[in-house]
Amino acid sequence: MARYLAKRVFYLLLTLFLIASITFFLMKLMPGTPLNNQAKLTKSQIQIIYEQYGLNKPVWQQYIDYMINAAHGNFGTSFQFSNQEVSYLIGSRIGPSATIGIQGMVLGVVLGIVTGSISAIRKNTWVDGTANIISILGLSVPSFVLAIVLQYYIGLKLQWLPVAGWGGFASTVLPSIALAASPFATTSRFVRTEMVDVLGSDYIELAKAKGMSRMGIVYHHALRNSLIPLVTVVGPLAVAIMTGSMVVENIFSIPGIGEQFVKSILTNDYPTIMGVTMLYSGLLVLVLLLTDIIYGIIDPRIRITGKGA
Amino acid sequence: MKLKTVIKLGSVALASTFILAACGSSNSSGKKTANIRESAELATMDQSKVTDVVGFTQLGNTEEGLYRIGKNNKIENAIATNTKVSDGGKTYTFTLRKGVKWSNGDEVTAKDFVYGWQRTVNPKTASQYAYIYSGIKNADKIASGKADYKTLGIKADGKYKLTVNLERPISYFKLLMGFPVFFPQNENAVNKYGSKYGTSASTTVYNGPYRMKGWTGSNLSWELVKNNTYWDKKNVKMDSLNWKVVKDAGTALNMYNSKKLDQTVLSSEQVKQYKSNKDYKKFLNASTFYIEFNQKKDKYFKNAKIREALSLAINRDQFVNKVLGDGSVAATGLTSAGLAKDAKTGKDFAKQVDVKSASEYNLKKAKTLMAEGLKEEGLKSIDFQLMSDDTTGAKQTTEFLQSAWEKIPNVKVSLSNIPFKNRLANSTAGKFDTVVTAWGADFSDPISFLQLFTSDNSQNNGKWSSKEYDNLINAANTTDASNTEKRWDDMVKAEQILLKDQGIAPLYQQGQSMLRRSNIKGIVYNSAGLNFDYKQMDVK
Amino acid sequence: MEEKVKIPKDAFQPVSKEDRLDDEKITAPSRTFLQDAWRRLKENKAAFISMWILIIVAIFAFTSPITAPNPNNSNPDYANLPAKIPGVSINGFNGTIVQGGERVDAYKANNVPAGKYFYFGTDYLGRSLGQRILHGTMISLLIGVFATLIDLLIGVGYGIFSAWKGGKVDIFMQRIIEIMSSVPNIVIMVLLLLVFKNGGILPIVLAIAINEWTTMARLTRAQTLQLKNQEYILAAQSLGESPWKISIKHLLPNLSSVIIIQTMFTIPTAIFFEAFLSYIGIGIQAPTASLGTLINDGQRNFQFLPFQMWYPAIVLAIIMIAFNVLADGLRDAFDPRTARR
Repeated sequence: MARYLAKRVFYLLLTLFLIASITFFLMKLMPGTPLNNQAKLTKSQIQIIYEQYGLNKPVWQQYIDYMINAAHGNFGTSFQFSNQEVSYLIGSRIGPSATIGIQGMVLGVVLGIVTGSISAIRKNTWVDGTANIISILGLSVPSFVLAIVLQYYIGLKLQWLPVAGWGGFASTVLPSIALAASPFATTSRFVRTEMVDVLGSDYIELAKAKGMSRMGIVYHHALRNSLIPLVTVVGPLAVAIMTGSMVVENIFSIPGIGEQFVKSILTNDYPTIMGVTMLYSGLLVLVLLLTDIIYGIIDPRIRITGKGA
Repeated sequence: MKLKTVIKLGSVALASTFILAACGSSNSSGKKTANIRESAELATMDQSKVTDVVGFTQLGNTEEGLYRIGKNNKIENAIATNTKVSDGGKTYTFTLRKGVKWSNGDEVTAKDFVYGWQRTVNPKTASQYAYIYSGIKNADKIASGKADYKTLGIKADGKYKLTVNLERPISYFKLLMGFPVFFPQNENAVNKYGSKYGTSASTTVYNGPYRMKGWTGSNLSWELVKNNTYWDKKNVKMDSLNWKVVKDAGTALNMYNSKKLDQTVLSSEQVKQYKSNKDYKKFLNASTFYIEFNQKKDKYFKNAKIREALSLAINRDQFVNKVLGDGSVAATGLTSAGLAKDAKTGKDFAKQVDVKSASEYNLKKAKTLMAEGLKEEGLKSIDFQLMSDDTTGAKQTTEFLQSAWEKIPNVKVSLSNIPFKNRLANSTAGKFDTVVTAWGADFSDPISFLQLFTSDNSQNNGKWSSKEYDNLINAANTTDASNTEKRWDDMVKAEQILLKDQGIAPLYQQGQSMLRRSNIKGIVYNSAGLNFDYKQMDVK
Repeated sequence: MEEKVKIPKDAFQPVSKEDRLDDEKITAPSRTFLQDAWRRLKENKAAFISMWILIIVAIFAFTSPITAPNPNNSNPDYANLPAKIPGVSINGFNGTIVQGGERVDAYKANNVPAGKYFYFGTDYLGRSLGQRILHGTMISLLIGVFATLIDLLIGVGYGIFSAWKGGKVDIFMQRIIEIMSSVPNIVIMVLLLLVFKNGGILPIVLAIAINEWTTMARLTRAQTLQLKNQEYILAAQSLGESPWKISIKHLLPNLSSVIIIQTMFTIPTAIFFEAFLSYIGIGIQAPTASLGTLINDGQRNFQFLPFQMWYPAIVLAIIMIAFNVLADGLRDAFDPRTARR
C-alpha cells in the first residue's frame, strides 16, 4: 500500500509539473501584456512595468522563476488587479465555488442515485421511461441555458428565489440546481446500469429465494453493490462541476473561481489564468487519487498491491 | 461506505448551508440606500495605479481633490478654497480648506498633494496615468528618467498653501484637478500598508463624501457609506450605496426588475425594449469611434477619394439606431459632441466644426468616387482587412461595415476581430489595413482628441499627415495657449482640415443607456473625466 | 438468471422420422454480427426513431448551402423580428410581439413588405434565424464529426498499438494516458483556443479531440487485449501475417462495436463543448454560426425575444437526445448482455 501510494504521489507531482510547464509555454505564446493603458505610455514607462512583472528576463529564466514560485504556491501578481497576489485572489474565491460546487454535487448525486435505483427496480415501465428522458435531458441541455431559464422563470417571474448575487442560502439554490443537472444525469444513468446488472446476479436470486423482502434486497444488497463503482465516476463529475461553474457563476454573479477564470481569460490576466489552471489540476488529480484509494478500500474485489497500476 | 453514511454526509452538507443562510445580512429600514450595478470588478483603489472607469468612479466618490467638477464641467471648490493664477497661466496658487480629515484621523494638508503627485510621476510607481501630468514642470523629464521625481513643479508652503508650476499654460488645468489621479495621498497610510495600499477597503484611507466598506480586493460587492468626517457631510444625503458587480447584462436586468438593483447599464438589445420606460436614461460619453486607414501600408489609402468613398458608404444613422441601438449617436467628427463649449458663443465644439461630407451617407457618390479613385491609382479592385476588437459590439460593427463597403463594386473586405490588447499592439505596429479605433477623452477639452493626429503622434496609426494641421495644433498648445479665443479657432480649423481630407472616417459617439429608479436624484454626469459623481445623490 | 418460463402443454411434439435428416440444419438465416446488431437495433423503437431523426436533421443541415444560402446576409432594418408563418395566426408565429406591455405587429412596425416571411424570425442584425439555424446545425455537426474522427484516428491507433506491443511499451503508453486524463481538459482546451483564437473551425475541432481521445484509446486497448489472445489471431500470426494486416483485417472489424458506440457518445459531447466554448466567448468566430453561438446570441435577448434562444436550443437538445438514445440503443444492440430485456 505504502509503495503504491508513493508511486501515485510521484505521478501526481509529475502530472502537475507537466501541466504547469504546458500552461507556462502556452501563456508565452499568447499576445498581450499587463498594461491596460498601453496607448498612453512612453517606452521607458513600459520598460519599468515589464521589469516589475519580470517580463524583461529571457523566457527560460521566467520559466525557472515561475516553476520555483509555483512550487511554493506563489503564482505572482495579477495583471488585472494591481498588487494583488494571485494566490490571494483565488483563495478569497474558493468559498462560494466550494459551496455551490458541493451542494450541486450532493444534490445531483443523491437525486441521481434515487432516480437511477427506481429506474432499475421498475425497469421497462413508464417510471423508467420518464426517468430516462429526464436524465437524458440533463445531458442535453447546456448548463447556461438551464441557468438562464431558472433565473428568469423561478427568480424573476415567480420570485421564489433571488435572481442572482451572493449572500445567504437562498442565493445558492438556483446555481446549485443548475450545476446539479450534469452530475444528476451521469449518476442516474450509471446507477441504473449497475443496478440492473446487480439485480440480475445470482446472489440476488438467492436472496429472493430466501424470501427476503424486495426493499430489503434493494437496500442491503443491490444498492450497496451498485454504488461502489460510482466512486469511479467522481472524477468526471468533478470536471463537470468545474466546467459548469464557469458559466453558472457568471450568470448568477457569484464571486467564485469559475467567474474569475472566465474574467481573466477575457482580460488576458495570465498569472491568474495559470493560478486557476493549477488549482483545478491539483484538485482533479487529488480527487482521482482519493477515489482510487477509496475504491480499493471499499471494493474487496480489488486489492491494491505494489505491482502494476 | 454504507448508505447511512452517505445520508449523514449529505445532511451535514445541507445543514452547513443553512448555517451559511443565517449569515445573510438584513438591511435596517429608514436609511437611505441604493443598489448600483457595476459591470466589472474594482481593480485598485490606489490613485497612482488606477486605470479604468470602475476605479475612477469609486475613487471620485470616496476621495477628494482640489475641486469637484459639477454639472456641465463647472469647477467647484473642494479642498481648495481659493485659487490664484499668475505668470501668464503658468503658476497656480491654491489655498486649502482647514480641518479636512483623512479617515485615519490625519489632516489633509498641502504636503499630501505633493506626496501624491510625486508618487504618481515617480517612474518606480509605474503609474499608467503619469502621462496626464505632461505640461506640469519637469513631468516629461521625470517620465523619461532625465530628472528626479522630486523636481516636479509642485510645492507646499506650510499646511494650507500649494503652488503648482507649469511648463506652458494649460487651459484645461482646473478640470484636471477634479480627476482622481491628481488627488492627495496620505503618506502615513501608503507607508503603513505598503504594497497592500489600495488593495482592499481596509487598507485605503478616505477623505471624500463616502467611505468604502466590504471590498476585499476582488469580490463582487461592496458598500460606500457616508463619511462622517467629511467636511461637507451635510450635503451628503445617502447613508450608503451598495455596489454589485454583475457582468451578465441579462442577469442585471432581471435583478433590476426584481428590485435588487436601482441602477443598471443596458445592453443594446435591452435598450430597444426599454427606450420608453420612465426609468430610462441616456448619457453620451466623450469617446468617439472612428476608422483609420493605413496609408503607410496601403498606398491606395493615400488617395482621398478612396477614403471618402468608404466613408460615404456608411449609413451611420442606420448603424447606431438599428445595429448598436445602445444610445450611441452617429459621430459628425473626431471631437465628441457635448465635450466643450465655445467660451464666447456657447456653441458646442463638435457643432462648430461642421464638416458634413465627413459623415454623410451617399452610396451613389461613394461608387463614383471609388471608381475615380481606383482609376487614379491604376487599380481594378481593392481587397483589405478591417480590424477591430472581439467584443460583441465590435463584431457587430465590423460585420456592418463589411456589408456596407462591399456594396461598392470592386471592394472586398475581410474581418479580423482580436482581443483589445492585440488590436492595440497591431495598431501601434502598423499591422493593419483599416482599423476601428476608439478614443476617450480624459478631460473636457478638444485637444484631448486633436493631438492624436499630429504627424509624429504615436497614436496616429494610419500615418495621415498635414503640415497645416500640425502647425495649428502646435499653436494651440504653445503660442495661443493663453488666448482662449484664438486657441479655440486653431482647434476648430485643425479638425476641419482632418475631416475634409477624410484623414479618418468618424463612426459613432458612444452612448450609455441605463435604467435608474425615477426617485433617484442629484447624480452629476460629465462626459469626460469622472463620469458619475454620487456626492449629492438623493432618494426622494 | 433465467426467468421462470411457463411451458404450454403443446410445446413438445414427437419428432417424426422424416425430420431426422435435417437435424444439423440451422433454420434461422445465417447473420453476421453486424446484421444481428442491426436487427436488434430495429427492435429498439426509441433508438430507431432517433436514428431517423438524426438522418433527417443531417439532411436538412447539409443541404443548407442550397436551401439556405444566405445565413450571413444582414439587413438591420429587419432586426429582431419574431417568427411569422403565412396563414398561421397563433401568437408567437404571426409576427406579433409584446412590446412595452402591448402586442404589436413587429413586421408592420418595421415596414417589412407584405410578402416577406421569416419562419423562425430574425436576429439582431436582421439575419434570418431559420437560415442561420440550418447553417449552424451543419457547422455543429461538422465540428462533432471531425473532432470524433480525429479522436478515432488517434485513440484507436494508440489503443491497438499499446495493447499489441504490450510489455514496457504498453505500460509507458498507459502512464501517458493516465497523466493526460488527470489534466482538467477543459482548462487546457480553453488555453489552446486562446492561443489559436482566429483559426476558424480547426483549432476548436483539435481542442475538443485532444479532450476526448484518451477514453477511446482506453476502450480500444482493453478490447484489443482480449482479442489478442483469441485463436484466430494466433492462427493469423503463425501463418505469418504482418501485425499491420492483422490489425486491419482482424482487429478492426472486431473492435467496430466498441468504436461505433464510443463515436456516438463522442459526437454529442463535442457539439456540447463547442456550445460551452461559444458561451465563454472563445467558440466559432462571427459571422459563422454554430448552434452554440446562436444560443449565446439568443440568450442576451432572452427576456424579450425568448425564441432567439429557444429555437437553436431546442435543435441542440433534439440532436443531443437523439445521439444519446441512439448510442444507448447501439450499445444494447452490440452487447446484448446489457440490453434492457
